[in-house]
Amino acid sequence: MKEKKISRRQFFKRAGLAAAGTGAVFYGPWKYNRVYASKTDKPILIGMTSDASGQFANSGASDRRGMMMAIDEFNKKGGVLGRKIDYMHIDTESNPATGSRVTERMITRNEVTFLIGALSSGVANAISQVAQKYGVVYMNSNSSSPTESGENCHRVKFVWDGNGTNFAKAAVKNAIEKVGNQWLLLTNDYVWGHNTSKSTRKLVNAFGGTIVDELLVPQGTRDFTSYLLKIQQIKPDVVAAAVAGDDSKVMRQQVAQMGMGKKPAWINNQQDWPDVYGLPIDNLFGVFGTTWYYDLDLPGVKEFVQRYRQMYPDTTMKAPGNVYYNGYMCTKELLSAVERAGTTNNLKVIKQLEGIKVSARDRMQHHDAYMGANHQMQQTVYLATANDEALWEKDKNAMFKILSNVAPSDVEDTDAMAVCKMESYAETPTYEG
Amino acid sequence: MDFIIGLLPFIVNGLSLGLLFALIALGFMLIIGVMELINLAHGSLFALGAYLAMVVISPHVPWLGAFGSWYLGLPIVLRYVLAIVLAPALVAVVGMVLEVCLRPTYGKDPLYGLLLTFGAAMVLEESIRVVWGSAEQMLQVPPVLVGPFLFGGMIYSKYQFFASAFAIFIIVLVWLFLERTPYGAIIKAGAHDSEMVRALGINLTRLRLFVFGFGTALAAIAGIIMSPIWGLRPHVGVDAVIPAFLIITLGGVGSFWGAVVAGVLVGLAVGITAGFASEWSLLSMYLLLIAVVTIRARGLFGKKSILEA
Repeated sequence: MKEKKISRRQFFKRAGLAAAGTGAVFYGPWKYNRVYASKTDKPILIGMTSDASGQFANSGASDRRGMMMAIDEFNKKGGVLGRKIDYMHIDTESNPATGSRVTERMITRNEVTFLIGALSSGVANAISQVAQKYGVVYMNSNSSSPTESGENCHRVKFVWDGNGTNFAKAAVKNAIEKVGNQWLLLTNDYVWGHNTSKSTRKLVNAFGGTIVDELLVPQGTRDFTSYLLKIQQIKPDVVAAAVAGDDSKVMRQQVAQMGMGKKPAWINNQQDWPDVYGLPIDNLFGVFGTTWYYDLDLPGVKEFVQRYRQMYPDTTMKAPGNVYYNGYMCTKELLSAVERAGTTNNLKVIKQLEGIKVSARDRMQHHDAYMGANHQMQQTVYLATANDEALWEKDKNAMFKILSNVAPSDVEDTDAMAVCKMESYAETPTYEG
Repeated sequence: MDFIIGLLPFIVNGLSLGLLFALIALGFMLIIGVMELINLAHGSLFALGAYLAMVVISPHVPWLGAFGSWYLGLPIVLRYVLAIVLAPALVAVVGMVLEVCLRPTYGKDPLYGLLLTFGAAMVLEESIRVVWGSAEQMLQVPPVLVGPFLFGGMIYSKYQFFASAFAIFIIVLVWLFLERTPYGAIIKAGAHDSEMVRALGINLTRLRLFVFGFGTALAAIAGIIMSPIWGLRPHVGVDAVIPAFLIITLGGVGSFWGAVVAGVLVGLAVGITAGFASEWSLLSMYLLLIAVVTIRARGLFGKKSILEA
């Protein structure tokens, strides 16, 4: 038998051709990073990019539970497009660098179909940059910096929480008229805090108020006494706090300990339910924003709460809150969009999500909601305060008293909409899992 | 003059915070001093102490039945005092078990001990999460300690001042124990030269076990005192272990008064900076460390090493 010899020149030529061929298949002008036949019985895999440790660990758990309930409901109906829905979770540790690494891994190694989950806006931004690179549709469930649907908006990303500007718009004008015009900003020193306070500052100035000072609170601050002493020295009418996660819990406890919850007036931009659940009612001072409350007198709310309790009978949180609600709603809307698109092709799913309108009944809110051009869900914003102590004593879940609801059109973040310049469809790689 | 009057509340707060930092660092310092071991589980034991105290103060356990109802009827002050005694004792037992696990690492690369305590920290934190969940918890304190008081026209928290006074009490108690009792003398001798202590016929194994138990009990006491201020969640220990480590380095490894003085300095740095340049408040303690260590590598009260002699 004649021995076949390959010369060095031939070897390099063939190797070069093979490499070029492989490159063309996987990274070619087709912009398909990953291709699977969408009509297979391969499960749709949701990558949950939420925090299980760090500042937002507790809220991360609520976020995931919401997603899991929506997934469970779809699986009970037979899945989506005849495919079962699976999920996986890796801790993003409330850390942007970890968020990027986890997302890269979920896409390249675990081959997730979609990504859902965020609490910290810094982490959400990191996740969405990687998601956009591969074209993976990403639901930012719970991070609420105005930048998320403003300068950091992306074609693949959809933001489901109300942002700092939405809540500030709902609260500022009223507070200036009723309480006073000397405002102090207490700002968590990271992206969400800065952008929320920036937005509050603009509104306060627009409505004739004055910002007398801004105190920056580093993330991880555990002693707020110095800040509270400074506030006493400055004597503002209103303190607008943009402090989140564990920092917010610590701040609330220390403000309550010093009896400063009533004077000055406190406007806490948004109050996530997991951050206050279980705290004594005097820790819940001031007026704050939320997108949902478990005790709203609206159709579907009671049943929703009941489903939550059935699914999670052992959880210490006996009533679902806004974080859970957002996790549930965005997962439900994503899977519904896949059903309507008839495929998991990212561009088709994106087109289904763009411009959707959801009735107030389906949202279990007071007003119809709609997806803004900047991919942020425009929804009802509620202003709330601590419930009457007697009612809270009777039922420890009954922590909030809803003061008002504001229609989405009245609190639109027009600045974010103006600065959002997202990638075109052509610039977004096609992805189908 | 106005500036000084304006500064005064921040100095008072800084001192109070510093004493609490010193309390956190005390147990950490004892273990490093005697065993030359960085106990990374210190923070988790701090958290465990607070959780166990919460159970002792308000045990909502159905199987306790009539006893549970009777116990909950006792005055909160009594339950609180019981918690301050009982929870550290239980944590000391956990600490002693950890010390037994550490024994195979003695005399080997210090990295083994470090890794083991790191693993123990993770196990403890996850165990807390499994038992009590990840949601925020509250450690009840007697009503007499709750609320504000007015001093010099400013509002302060009663509890923070109680906590600082308690920290002074514990610091003095530990100092008296180390300086005025034969056991303290043995511990100090062990910190100085453990092999010589063994040569003198003192059971070094038992000494290490005791010191580890004592150090972890102090971590638990710090946890009980701090949690009404910092809140109570499974990862609260991380907030404790970083300043503790920094204070030990700043004060000088193994130095009792080094830990106390460094704690107060860190408290003052954080408290005053938060009042005047708030965004620098947490960074200030690291800057302080860099400044001190640059001039004096062994920390404020650290002893000269052989290399420097």
